[in-house]
Amino acid sequence: MGEFKVHRVRFFDYMPSGIRALAFNRDIERIAVARMDGSVEVFHCSDRFFQEKIIPGREQCGIEGLSWVGERLFSAGLNGGITEYDLTNQKVKYTIDAYGGPIWTIAGNQQGTHLAVGCEDGTVKLFEVNEDKIQFERNLDRQKSRIISLSWHPSGSKIAAGMMDMIQIFNVETGHSVHRLLADRGVGTSRSKECVVWSVVYLSDGTIISGDSVGMVKLWDDQTGTLIKSHNVTKCDVLALSVSQNEDSLVAGTSEGTVVQFQFISMVLGKDDKEWVRTRTFKNHTHDIRAVAEITTAVVSGGMDAQLVVRPLLDKVEVRSAASALRKIHFPHRRLVSCARKSGLMLFQYPGHLELWRLGESEGKGSSLFVKRNPEKLLHLKVKGEDHIRCSAVSPCGEWIVYSTASKLRENTLHGLKHFLFLFFQISKLPMVLSSANQLCFSSDSSHLFSASAQSSVHIASLSQSGCKFVGTLKPKSGSHQAIHLLAASEDGKWLASANSDHEVHIYNLQTRKAHCTVPVYSSAVTAMGIHPTTNCLFMMYADQQMCEYSIEQKQYTDWSRTVQRKGLHRFWMERDTPCLNVMFNPQNPSHVILHDTYMLCIIDQSLPLPDDKTQFYNQLTLKSLPEEQRKSHSHAFKVCKTFKDILCVELMSDQSLVVVERPLEDVASQLPAPIKQKKFAT
Amino acid sequence: MSELTLQFESSDDELPEEVAFDASKSVALKSVKDALDAAKREKNLLKEKRRKKQQLFQEQKKRKLLPQELLEEFDTKPQKQTDLSANKGIYKKVSTKPSHNNKVKEQETGTMPKKTPKSLPVSYRVMRIKDESAAKTLQQRATDFVQSRLYGPGTKRTTNAELLSLKKKRGASQGAAVEFANKKLGACKKARIKRSNKRFIRQQKLIPF
Repeated sequence: MGEFKVHRVRFFDYMPSGIRALAFNRDIERIAVARMDGSVEVFHCSDRFFQEKIIPGREQCGIEGLSWVGERLFSAGLNGGITEYDLTNQKVKYTIDAYGGPIWTIAGNQQGTHLAVGCEDGTVKLFEVNEDKIQFERNLDRQKSRIISLSWHPSGSKIAAGMMDMIQIFNVETGHSVHRLLADRGVGTSRSKECVVWSVVYLSDGTIISGDSVGMVKLWDDQTGTLIKSHNVTKCDVLALSVSQNEDSLVAGTSEGTVVQFQFISMVLGKDDKEWVRTRTFKNHTHDIRAVAEITTAVVSGGMDAQLVVRPLLDKVEVRSAASALRKIHFPHRRLVSCARKSGLMLFQYPGHLELWRLGESEGKGSSLFVKRNPEKLLHLKVKGEDHIRCSAVSPCGEWIVYSTASKLRENTLHGLKHFLFLFFQISKLPMVLSSANQLCFSSDSSHLFSASAQSSVHIASLSQSGCKFVGTLKPKSGSHQAIHLLAASEDGKWLASANSDHEVHIYNLQTRKAHCTVPVYSSAVTAMGIHPTTNCLFMMYADQQMCEYSIEQKQYTDWSRTVQRKGLHRFWMERDTPCLNVMFNPQNPSHVILHDTYMLCIIDQSLPLPDDKTQFYNQLTLKSLPEEQRKSHSHAFKVCKTFKDILCVELMSDQSLVVVERPLEDVASQLPAPIKQKKFAT
Repeated sequence: MSELTLQFESSDDELPEEVAFDASKSVALKSVKDALDAAKREKNLLKEKRRKKQQLFQEQKKRKLLPQELLEEFDTKPQKQTDLSANKGIYKKVSTKPSHNNKVKEQETGTMPKKTPKSLPVSYRVMRIKDESAAKTLQQRATDFVQSRLYGPGTKRTTNAELLSLKKKRGASQGAAVEFANKKLGACKKARIKRSNKRFIRQQKLIPF
């Protein structure tokens, strides 16, 4: 099967940023996640929570809230502006200033006509949602303290606003405050501080539910303006609330990292008098939970520990399958590391800068080799401007680096890398047409750069000593205009494959610069793809853990792929909950395909038989213990290695060594913001 | 008065001298007139003082102000435009300079186009954004508010190292606290402690040479 020398890389100090807001869109089954660094990600809830779109953020963004209006996504933040996102091209469409100071919250009404924002100056501003833009309509009555949270009544006639120490109910038509509900400050030291009502929810029967900084979830009646019931959930703050669509279940997220569920049920079975009762507690986080969302079958929560946790509610789930297990998403579903295979260099993509490292050298034999020369950092490239990096790539020869932010594309040449004491650096001017790229890829001989841009098209630029020249554009014959998130070039330089967010995979002929064919659309998104160096077959991995192989020259699925589809994949393979992010081939063994996901590394041998459900899947250790003759009969195509954990990237270098970039989660956890002190028994 | 007492003391038995009514009347009147005169003089003195001060202030004010013509020119202009546009938000950054000095500077330099200066309400001030370097922006203040409510005084927060150490203590495979097991954590702090230990030992000469 093969022995590999493995470079275990742990010097990529990638820090995911905390989650600030969640917004669920029931109609298209997507959930939008806003992070503290201003980036917005869209996950597809029914496609194993694959991260479909990423819109990078910028410095000093301070995003505070997200809201869907139909299929459009809006956000508001502390910089005082409301932003609409162009989800087709994965970038910001426009930002308008609300002129109210920092905005704390944004909420759209159920009818989809208006957006309300709560500002620092105490006003609730109403914006009318038009077809292409939003327009300021009017202010509701200005209050004395800042508006921290907002909720529309489902009919759209009233708004409940959570402020400091109180909740105000506004009549939207007149703009006047109808009721003022006073939240009390609690006992002890919290008496001197104002009580902040972090979150409110307005139900259709007139009940208002609020979560505040004292740790209480309170139920209010809006007709009389009085408190109905108050539940003491925690000693610290209740930061987020979310109610399900049929208003029978509410989840509250606290500062301690617990999610508490309340359900609208009757205390005595059979009787009709229902009330809100605290039912379940989920403790899946270690740090503050800043946002929760109640999707009918699951509870999604996210906070300062930067992981998105999906907890299915088992009473709503019909079939117990892989989709109904607890899912934690730590790392993005895009590649942040690119390797220059021929020269042993690696490029790490951080939000604000790039780092280029040279791998170290080792000598000796055994399972852990002695490091002769340490890995060294060759380049630290900071981005000009405030935008974060969207994608980056290093050419296989190691002489070109290209990166793209939301607004521009920059390319640098590196000469003289062999003499690593002296680095000569030159920035080459890019042709105007290459403005911003969603994905970047170099050809295998480093002569061309492919950049995926708007309208699902790919620009080609040729690279030479003198610089970079725009050569042509590849456009698909038909299909959607969604942004491309994956590009793969063949080794011989003849073919290019592109995958976009609408699950379409187009293959282009680079010699004629025309579209060659399209792979049949599958219901799940493509997470990784690669073109085989000799047979020119496109190997694709999907988000639901299916795989298929498509022959480019014959324009059809290969026989091996049809066998896999017919036989089905092993249960353990399908139950993995993280997507495969890279597909590689071994030139020495043409029948091998190397894949990896966050917790395992796998080599698929296409010449061996496929495992059926009864065979042992993880059989590497048993095979080791068997004598040579018996191994052949017991081995199957999937060889899984679980030595490495929290893998960000695996690459096969041209000298047959594997590079495994790991980011241990304990190292991430040690650099997060401070958690709440909790007293545990026997500590 | 002393004369009378002396006279009285010289001879107790003799009759008091006859003092003419007129003489005493004139003395009394004189004393009254003296008193009135003194009061008047004092009043006049104060008046003089006040007048002098007033003059001094007038002079100072005159020195500060500009020639009469320019002031007359202003008085006619502001009467034309008294209303402000309604859309000015409350966060219009305004400075502490008095408003008419600003207008004066504009007229003096002559480089500004002849705009009709609008009169602002009393509570508004005009400021330059360049001068705001020391003051915090609104966004920064809002972020500080959230930070102080979640992480500021009054909240019970602990460190990540403690959280991870407790997990290890109660976990399936129990181990030492994270600061001891993980070499990278707090490396600079450990290095500093080691250096200060060395310095102490050298100082106290605990290890003989």
